[in-house]
Amino acid sequence: MFGLVDAVSFYARAEKVFDPSIRHKPVVVLTNNDGCICAVCPIARKLGVPKFVPYFKVKSFLAKHGVVVRSSNYELYADLSERMMNVIARYSDNHYVYSIDESFLHFKNFSCVANWHEYGHVIRKAVWRETRLPVGVGFGETLTLAKAANHASKKLSGFDGVAVIDDQASRKEILSRMSLTDVWGIGNKLGKRLSILGLNNGWDLANQSPKTMRGQFGVVVERTVNELNGMPCLKWDEIGQDKQEIFSTRSFGQRVTDDHALKAALSSHASIVAAKVRRQGSLIKRLVIFASSSPHDDNYYKKSVIYEFPIATDNTLKLAGAISYVFDSIYKLGVSFYRCGVGGVELENSQFQQQDMFTLSVNNPPLMKCYDQINHRYGRGAVEVAIAEKNEKWAMRRNFLSPRSTSNWSEIPKINC
Amino acid sequence: MKVIPVYIEAGISGFESPAAEYRELNLSLEELLLQHPNATFFGLANGRSMEGRGIFNGDVLVVDRVEHINNGAVIVANFNGCFVCKIIDTDNALLLSASDEHKPIKITASDDFQIEGVVNVSFRLHKKLPVLLSCLG
Repeated sequence: MFGLVDAVSFYARAEKVFDPSIRHKPVVVLTNNDGCICAVCPIARKLGVPKFVPYFKVKSFLAKHGVVVRSSNYELYADLSERMMNVIARYSDNHYVYSIDESFLHFKNFSCVANWHEYGHVIRKAVWRETRLPVGVGFGETLTLAKAANHASKKLSGFDGVAVIDDQASRKEILSRMSLTDVWGIGNKLGKRLSILGLNNGWDLANQSPKTMRGQFGVVVERTVNELNGMPCLKWDEIGQDKQEIFSTRSFGQRVTDDHALKAALSSHASIVAAKVRRQGSLIKRLVIFASSSPHDDNYYKKSVIYEFPIATDNTLKLAGAISYVFDSIYKLGVSFYRCGVGGVELENSQFQQQDMFTLSVNNPPLMKCYDQINHRYGRGAVEVAIAEKNEKWAMRRNFLSPRSTSNWSEIPKINC
Repeated sequence: MKVIPVYIEAGISGFESPAAEYRELNLSLEELLLQHPNATFFGLANGRSMEGRGIFNGDVLVVDRVEHINNGAVIVANFNGCFVCKIIDTDNALLLSASDEHKPIKITASDDFQIEGVVNVSFRLHKKLPVLLSCLG
């Protein structure tokens, strides 16, 4: 049996954990730089607040309805996520943290669980009690069915936060009430193409011939159909596959025109990418480096350069060197830059690196390990390549930030006595 | 003055500490004070109504969400949108203070009330730390 536990509108609910004054109020959370709405709590959803719209477009609507607006408090979310995952991990022998707010569980030889529905509620209650975060729990014979059951537990009427797909009847009931794009792995494009064939919901998809689906849509859809029929195809370790590309990119809090500031921003992105790459044990062969003005500007400017390393690397210093090397071809005087970023686009596994007889490795694992450990211990940016100095101009804008209640002593909640 | 460095000869390596084998991990305050680290948060006491239970203004409260709530326990609760620290009287649905100057508060159905956790540990910094004072603001 597989399970999927995930938090209900995690960011918005996390905001309520240490602020009891907003527990019964509509709350929305904004993305980086307070750009768009990225999370909407159930109360705000009932008011009709849409997700993924620019904040400025709905600002007056939110004010009129007394909606509480918050910037993304990543420090708080990271801590609450870790706590939530710790609780969930206690309930299975194998779990995989799929994202900040969802975790897959694998139950082998769990015959002690007689009633999965009850077991789901045990998990829900424990997470609520220890973290004050509401979660939905779904169980199914495959990962895709667990994902579907999880969807049902939160979105379909008649479910109280837990749903189980363990026989034909429950499978049919849930899948026939799910739209195609609610099925894991079916995106908008694919959903449209499938609906042209006359399919309306998950159950219709489950009843297609896997072979035919493979012929028309490829092996991924074939596997989805099999999974929907209770035949496990996705392997446990495949869902946690290493990322093929790693990006760090962001729009500036304020426009940047100065070459030094742009270089500093790019170098910081490079250093974030390098740290992420090291965490998954990869090396970067090709690095893409780009900067642009806003597409809404009159003379839209965008420049993107690919730098290829002679030998794949995870060395922050080499990445910073690459930025310096290509910088002059990216920067243009007079452009007010709105966005920039860096991405590792061709990654290699550091375990199977092909060595070159004539080139010495540029990697420096002991230095990078030390670098990561210092930053882990004292916070990101404690040590940094000199060029990536922090610059307020491009630091994230977070005007509606709540206290970092669990990670900063000067921001712990006040309790009235 | 010229100094001629004379290096200590190898061979004098001292004696191994007889205590080396008995070395343990250092004492950890977390281990002592936090029963359920995953379900614990910290808050700062604001006010004087709990002085009778040894909780003074500016003390740090260790709030445990897992600990069982007994009648008479010191708890932290959400009371109408505010975190409060009081003694819970479960028999009479009262929030009691540990001070004569504060009357018991009756919890009624119209109140927004949830218990957040139990305070089994609180601690005081006898030399105030600026980092903590700033939250009382």
